[in-house]
Amino acid sequence: MDERLEKALDFSNYMLTLNNQKRLLAEKYQESLIYFYSGSQFTLTRELITFVSAMISAEQDEIVITDDNNIPCMVENLEDFYGEIVSKYTNASNSYYTAYADLKKNRTVEKLVNYE
Amino acid sequence: MSKGIFLIARNNAHIDYVKQAVFLARRIKKYLGVPVTIATESVDYLELAFGVDDFDEVITLDDTGEFNQRYFYDGALSKKSASFKNNNRASVYDLTPYDETILMDTDYVISNDLLKSCFGSKSNFSIYKKSNDIAKVRDEQEFDTISNTSVDFYWATVVYFRKTETNKIFFDLVKHIEEEWNHYRRVYQITSTLFRNDFAFSIAIHIMNGFQNGNFAQELPGSMMYTTDTDILWQLKEDEMMFLVEKKDYLGEYTALKTQGQTIHVMNKSSLSRIIDQEFAND
Repeated sequence: MDERLEKALDFSNYMLTLNNQKRLLAEKYQESLIYFYSGSQFTLTRELITFVSAMISAEQDEIVITDDNNIPCMVENLEDFYGEIVSKYTNASNSYYTAYADLKKNRTVEKLVNYE
Repeated sequence: MSKGIFLIARNNAHIDYVKQAVFLARRIKKYLGVPVTIATESVDYLELAFGVDDFDEVITLDDTGEFNQRYFYDGALSKKSASFKNNNRASVYDLTPYDETILMDTDYVISNDLLKSCFGSKSNFSIYKKSNDIAKVRDEQEFDTISNTSVDFYWATVVYFRKTETNKIFFDLVKHIEEEWNHYRRVYQITSTLFRNDFAFSIAIHIMNGFQNGNFAQELPGSMMYTTDTDILWQLKEDEMMFLVEKKDYLGEYTALKTQGQTIHVMNKSSLSRIIDQEFAND
């Protein structure tokens, strides 16, 4: 096989694997953003965090938020709730950032999938 | 409120579902930390080959003699025809010893604690509707609706439910749909004659919702991640799995793919069996 083609195919295979791993990492990140509170399930978003922050600024102590299944949930201590969702969101995002950076360092298919 | 996982393991000539159940029960203990009950026709085999220590309760199922036939692939190039016994799944409602139960297929490889949060949730019935083929090279439309012209598809692979009167009605309805399968598959425009629990559960949910989309069933957290039987589970270490997934348009060629901390429905039972053998040999 022509050496140029061989190199291109190797790179193509590498990119395919890299993109797959990036996609799986993104899906794992989405799972790690799921937060459970008082029997309700929330996927943490910047919108939710900002909304809760705005409600605290408006001096609300408790509010009703609908969860991922559209079930209303009474959040009784808004400050505590805010602290927890910010903490979970930042931890999940930091882990995603670190894992993504590690992934990009791997320059071969074998290293991408950590195959021994 | 008691809570636990319920597994049904009905062996056929080719696939050892009991072995899968033992393997899964150990992972459930590790990642979810809840008791596990197994219902099987092969209690003697379970006791002899693996013991019953991994289970909270062992329930003996009668062999009804009913079975279906289908192809089981082991990667894109190898397949064999075998019987499988998928009937009577709805009996879980009557059999489960728990107030809150997660019914789970034995080829669902638990690798995180996400499902633990179902227990104590506000939902009385949760199931996966969203799904994710980890290969992303195949048409996933067959998992959107139960046929091209029919209702939404739900996965019977994992089902959370509480013992409530409404859920009793639901599981009785699933039994009825199974008994009258030829009628319901025609009404819901399913061309295959093969009975599938996914279809029966999807039809039952549609009926429970007043023959429309509704909120009888809530979504389980995350999405149902799966690989089909034309992919191969190649390696497993703790919560890491490496798969060889089909390469688009290149029959028999694969791309390596690694997951970490992600629970996957591994449909290639032959490759799962090989991995379980390796794991048990290492124990």
